[in-house]
Amino acid sequence: MKSEKTRKLSSVLAVIKAEPLTNRAEADLTGCYISDLLSDVLAHASHGMLWITIHTHRNVISCATTKDIGAVLFVCGRKPDPGVVAEADAEGIVLLSTKMAAYEAAGKLWEAGLR
Amino acid sequence: MNATIVKNNGTRPTAVLPDAAGDRCSRIPEPHPELTASAAVAHNAVAIKLENSMIAVTMSEGPSTETGMTAGKPLKVSVAQVLIYELRVRDAMTRPPVTAGPGDSLRTIQHLMKTHRISGVPILQNGVPVGLVSIEDIINALDQGHVNDPAERWMTRNIVALRDHFSLVRAVAEFDRHGFGRFPVLNSSGVLVGVITRGDITACLMQQLEKRAEEAAAREAALFSGQTSDLEQTKSVVVQTEVKSGDYDNAGKISQRMRQILRARGVDPDIQRRAAIIAYEAEMNIIIHSIGGDLSVAISPGKVVIEAVDRGPGIENVDLAMQEGWSTAGPLARELGFGAGMGLPNIKKCSDQFEIHSEMSVGTRLHSEVLLSQAAPPPKPEEPI
Repeated sequence: MKSEKTRKLSSVLAVIKAEPLTNRAEADLTGCYISDLLSDVLAHASHGMLWITIHTHRNVISCATTKDIGAVLFVCGRKPDPGVVAEADAEGIVLLSTKMAAYEAAGKLWEAGLR
Repeated sequence: MNATIVKNNGTRPTAVLPDAAGDRCSRIPEPHPELTASAAVAHNAVAIKLENSMIAVTMSEGPSTETGMTAGKPLKVSVAQVLIYELRVRDAMTRPPVTAGPGDSLRTIQHLMKTHRISGVPILQNGVPVGLVSIEDIINALDQGHVNDPAERWMTRNIVALRDHFSLVRAVAEFDRHGFGRFPVLNSSGVLVGVITRGDITACLMQQLEKRAEEAAAREAALFSGQTSDLEQTKSVVVQTEVKSGDYDNAGKISQRMRQILRARGVDPDIQRRAAIIAYEAEMNIIIHSIGGDLSVAISPGKVVIEAVDRGPGIENVDLAMQEGWSTAGPLARELGFGAGMGLPNIKKCSDQFEIHSEMSVGTRLHSEVLLSQAAPPPKPEEPI
């Protein structure tokens, strides 16, 4: 699951029509994980992954920091409060939002080579 | 406020308010966490709330009833309410007092007031207070063209003095009761040591609140932003915090701080993450499932020890709780993404040593240890086969 090969976030941004929410919008992605259960992410995601979720609460940032997640993609057009974005900026975590649903976004990302 | 000064040309001695019981507001008990509302309402001329380092002060002109408290019921005591019981008149009064003699002219005293920006001057005769000239006395005298008269002809003689060891809450009550703008303050030997006004009390409370807020901020900064000494390899550091039930908004700070320290000490990133997961999950367990508890992280050169102790209600079936997918989390926790039923299994998986004890209606104690090793040196290039 963990590969040394990384993908630039910027190279897959277009396929999911994602809007960066944080000042930083670049990361080296090691893969992707989809879950809306935080403990599940803590247990199964790996560092450097893109995490796809519908949750926008600040716990997502705590969870991402704990696991060194590279970027978080909020799907279905969801966006967190500015305070959450500020916290992500402070922690160096990239936040993105797309109107696509998780399944579609994941499919596009897989096709684009994020595996 | 409009003080009423009763002129009295007799020679009544200075009344010093007694310590004795029986007086409505005498002998305020030592600060106690369970002050009752009735006591607080009686002295609630100054109502101050300190929350999250934000300070809001309201000072009412008279006895306040807008407290939102119900008499008789125990209430949560704000920092300021404790302060006005803890702080003494001597802490807030202006000292040394600016005084004048009975023979000094009102004009002289008026200049004293102007220079020192005060509104009342005690009059001493042989070191003993015999009266007080207030700005009102001077205005009265000016009105009638007697501004060059000696103080003794116009001073208020039946003055009321406070003792320097009185609490500020009592001082506030005395201001309400007497309507004076200021009180002379005597020490236990009856010597005039200062003068106190309502403004002095407000200023003192503000200063103390600011001091406490700064101390709290400094503690928080020390906890979360990193004292460099904490980052030294050989030092043992204990980070501890109270975790409140349902406080989803503040979760994760301890684990963040721990990560900072471990990172700075060059601990292997995988081990850092394992320790962080344990601290975060343990904190979330207290927030989601308990009525509150404490989380402590002790970092020593060899290991990290994480302890989460809550005050109940306890886990009914620990074996079941250790099963992946088993959760008793409520709807709010689930809405926020918790309740996967993986918290305890995650903690166990990440720990090098793990213990959990729970007793119904007593609480749960979780103990986890992670052994530390330094980051592995960069991998050697593989030998060509």
